[in-house]
Amino acid sequence: MIPVSAFVDGPLWIFSLVVFLAGVGWRLLGMLRQGLGRDFSRPRASSLTGALHALLFRFLPPRGMAKRLRFHLLAGYLFHLGLFALLFFALPHVEFLSERLLGFGWVAMPRWAFILAAEAAFLGLLMLWLNRVLNPVTRLISNTGDHAASVLLFLVMLTGCLALARSHESLRLLHFLFVELLMIYFPFSSLMHSITFLFSRPAIGAHYGRRGVSS
Amino acid sequence: MAVDMKLFRDFVEQIRMLPQMAQPTDYPDSDRVQAARQVFAAKLNARLASHLDACVHCGICAEACHYHVQSGDPDYTPVRKVELLRRYYRRERGAFAWLYRLFIPDITEQDLEQWQPLVYDGCTECGRCSMACPQGVDIASMVGVMRQALAKAGLIPAGLRAVEQEQGSRGTVFGVGPDELTQALEALREKGYEIPLDKDRAEMLVLTSTLDVLLFTDALESTVKVLNHLGIDWTIHSCAFEGANFGMLSGFEEVQKQASERIVAQALRVGARYVIVPECGHAYPAMRWEAANEHGAPLPFEVLAISEFLGREVMAGRLVLNPLQSRTVTYHDPCKIGRHGGVFDEPRAVLEALGLKLEEMPAHREMNYCCGGGAGLFLIESAAHNRDLGFDLKRQQVESTAAESLVTACGSCRLNFLAGADRVGWDRDVESLIELVGQALPGPGER
Repeated sequence: MIPVSAFVDGPLWIFSLVVFLAGVGWRLLGMLRQGLGRDFSRPRASSLTGALHALLFRFLPPRGMAKRLRFHLLAGYLFHLGLFALLFFALPHVEFLSERLLGFGWVAMPRWAFILAAEAAFLGLLMLWLNRVLNPVTRLISNTGDHAASVLLFLVMLTGCLALARSHESLRLLHFLFVELLMIYFPFSSLMHSITFLFSRPAIGAHYGRRGVSS
Repeated sequence: MAVDMKLFRDFVEQIRMLPQMAQPTDYPDSDRVQAARQVFAAKLNARLASHLDACVHCGICAEACHYHVQSGDPDYTPVRKVELLRRYYRRERGAFAWLYRLFIPDITEQDLEQWQPLVYDGCTECGRCSMACPQGVDIASMVGVMRQALAKAGLIPAGLRAVEQEQGSRGTVFGVGPDELTQALEALREKGYEIPLDKDRAEMLVLTSTLDVLLFTDALESTVKVLNHLGIDWTIHSCAFEGANFGMLSGFEEVQKQASERIVAQALRVGARYVIVPECGHAYPAMRWEAANEHGAPLPFEVLAISEFLGREVMAGRLVLNPLQSRTVTYHDPCKIGRHGGVFDEPRAVLEALGLKLEEMPAHREMNYCCGGGAGLFLIESAAHNRDLGFDLKRQQVESTAAESLVTACGSCRLNFLAGADRVGWDRDVESLIELVGQALPGPGER
């Protein structure tokens, strides 16, 4: 019988990686295979410029709405920037990506920056989740999948922090197990937005861009 | 010039009678669902799929919607309005349809009925939510598909349906056909204007709308005045003059195509290089963006909104206007011409040429708030409360400026503003851009 540690580090890791890559690819294919009709109307301006504008500028708050969206913006930036920093610049992640996947590494952030990023990500995630539960709008439009994604992310981040000291192998394994579960869940969930925005933003940007509207 | 408010109130009263004129659309329940599904199937493409796949239910779109902002009602969250389309995509067409089908219920007749007020009464397809979404989800386009699905399922609200049925069957809108147009043009001829009606060949085909024939007659007169002043080779055709397209507003594609194709065919017959759309918001996207696709080929003429045309002429120095009495105004960008059409600079250039001081509202250009009554809401009796909500928000926007009057370039917006102003006794003027231009030009026989 394979020990749990070997299973989590071995077959389950391979399985989750395959599900993640194949699932993401299949979902994107399912989106793209819907095809596009031809637009015969005369463009007013460039679709490409519009697409690039939307891709880049939708990271910023919509004009004139920053005050109204202050909670969404604060929570959103805290969570996403914190998570991005943790995912790609936490020392254990840099080492993991280098050793297990890419074969090369880069400079990791110092510990104090890790703590800051983790606090930001936790605070942001909690704010977003509380908003999802308490705000009548998000409560109405959210589904079970959205809540499942929040809970999984929270568990991944929590176990990641617990495993940071690397004093207990079991804590690292627990973190890795939740990461694998998240990877398996990812293609089926709204977590895919971290990839689909690369398509939806240019799509809307191109649509409005050819009409001469910066979106 | 001020609108005759008695005439306006009579007109509004007639609109209130519309539901009684609508023909019933009796479908078996299963046919309704099937019809809606067919529309979803036909309209889904990679662009819509990318939007449906990208939503994370963050709720930011709600903060952009004038109806949610004013009412706080979560039902008006824009992305909720397209839930049935999303459900169809995930169950039937998405990558994991085989899996989601086990968990996501199919669309039912009750769903269609439940979503009808959200899609018609609760959305003007203004597109402000599409501008605000961080993921770039184009909710307005998807609401358009929802309307098409509900229209195919026979669920257009009665008031809107009555006009769509009239335009589809008789080609008239509010009873205005060739005779009524000719009568209105005769009245202008009596004032001394030359009207090139039904010319065989012309460089420019000019459209008008029922609103301008019946109510905003100064807009029609000003259009004639400016075109004659510029010495343009233009015509208006009694068999293809109506810019309003109630097929598009209601979502009934067959009527939309029929109305657009009538104009396209006439423009091709007269060899027009330009088609001018009147101050009618949705008429612009109907001709500018949709007509070529319904025609199935690029069109050999350019479609311009009248405000766009005026701005271009001013910017090119061909149209020089006598400055009006100096005062501060603000400009309302009609959603279908501005946010959906990119016509922002041209009307502002006209206001400057008129010597008016423009003070923008806090939300303007692509983030402008809708008038509250667009996309046919003015004809939907059950949407009366929402129209008022939209107007009240707009009023706050205008009152945050020092503007004495609100200028716009869309008859529907003007209609909603006038109705709102009449309801609350608002002291700001609501003016039309083309009418202001008409005031700044000499009339027939004047110098």
